Amino acid sequence: MKITTDTASCVASGQCVLLAPGTFDQDEETGTVVLLTGEPAAGEEEAVRQAELTCPAAAIRLTGS
Amino acid sequence: MTTTEQTPRLPFSRGNALEIAPDYEALRRQAPVSRVLTPAGDPAWLITSYEEAKEVFRDKRFGRSHPAPEQASRISYAAVQDGPSGDFESEEREHKRMRRMLAPAFSAPRMRALGDRIAELTDRCLDDLQAARDADPGAPVDLTDFLAFPLPVLVICELLGVPYEDREKFRGLSERIAMMDGGEDAQAAMTEFKAYMTELAEAKRADPQPDVISDMVAVQADDPTFTDDDLARMGAGLLFAGHETTSTRIAMGTLFLLTDTARRDRFAADPEGQVAQTVEEILRLTATSGTGLLRYAHEDVEVAGIRITRGDAVLISSDAANRDEAVFADPDEFDPDRTPNVHLAFGTGAHVCIGANLARTELRTVFPKLFRRFPGLRLAVGIDEIGVRTNRVAGGVDRVPVEW
Ligand code: SF4
Repeated sequence: MKITTDTASCVASGQCVLLAPGTFDQDEETGTVVLLTGEPAAGEEEAVRQAELTCPAAAIRLTGS
Repeated sequence: MTTTEQTPRLPFSRGNALEIAPDYEALRRQAPVSRVLTPAGDPAWLITSYEEAKEVFRDKRFGRSHPAPEQASRISYAAVQDGPSGDFESEEREHKRMRRMLAPAFSAPRMRALGDRIAELTDRCLDDLQAARDADPGAPVDLTDFLAFPLPVLVICELLGVPYEDREKFRGLSERIAMMDGGEDAQAAMTEFKAYMTELAEAKRADPQPDVISDMVAVQADDPTFTDDDLARMGAGLLFAGHETTSTRIAMGTLFLLTDTARRDRFAADPEGQVAQTVEEILRLTATSGTGLLRYAHEDVEVAGIRITRGDAVLISSDAANRDEAVFADPDEFDPDRTPNVHLAFGTGAHVCIGANLARTELRTVFPKLFRRFPGLRLAVGIDEIGVRTNRVAGGVDRVPVEW
């Protein structure tokens, strides 16, 4: 699974970080998403899928399986 | 043609604190979007289905301002969510500025940093709960007095930099601005609330601290279009939202867990392991205000085949959307194993609640601590004896009497 994020549409809600803190973080200054790794961190595959569904800005894309 | 007599009027009445009004489902069966009258008696559209709620939350053609505010449908006679707010021309720009200004303070890194402090404050509230019980061992204790209300207030005070000693003052003001039939008194309370914020901002200007009001003051120094009135309104809004909403969730979450002993025991057996999912289910099921979130159409828009005209009021009922059986199987069941559980308790899209992370952090701290300390907690009265606040914008319950 490959993850991409669109920081331009991100509304800095931080749902992704709360769900998958090993994969996502937020920029301290702007609050926008920071992708820590291009693939889900260990054990966070399910959480990353959940983050894609939950992101209020549809700013997280998953490709591959 | 529907006549006025047949148009349902909000708020609808519900069986008890844990249910939502059956009218929502009845309306959704007919159409995802219905014609209703607001509590103030004006026409509005009510969205009851999940897909359409999500669509409208994300659609930029809906906003909080109105092209001709004096003609807009009124929702209630409170001083929040009562009618249009902001300026039609600059709403989007203003909103972006606000999000940019506030995002860092509410971001995950800041919430992580605040986590220990929230834990400490929760412990203190639980000590007070115990002390109240010890003082009069025969009598039930009201959890809203010792935990559900004070904790979110303590936390939002820290984050915003508002003195906790002033809580009685802004508790009173928060209550008054949110009374649906408040009228002149609600407006007077809003004026007082803004004056309080303006004074606080003055103090931060002279002596900035690491808090949100100081951040706002700093932004204002660089951006003169951000007026004193904007700052006061935003500060009052955050303080209001920060304590009414989370407070309701703590109270209602406790009610959900205590009304079924098996459910309580299951949670108490592994609070940390279950808390994330349990909190999402509490968020999904908690019915709040009787009106939903307010938007006005900024152009003619078609939703689910229904034409909504520019200027029309649209109320999005997250309470109803979160119990749409097209998305949630057995929607009225409390099921912490639900996955995915993509509810709309915080809205979605560009206006998604900025405090969502803060609320989740608080709720994920509170419930494990509460049930670790009081695994045998029980409700001292039947659920039907707990009054629902129908006259308040944020809804909520009157009390949560508990014993152990
Ligand atoms: S959940 Fe979406 S909008 Fe929120 S911070 Fe993550 S990417 Fe941004």
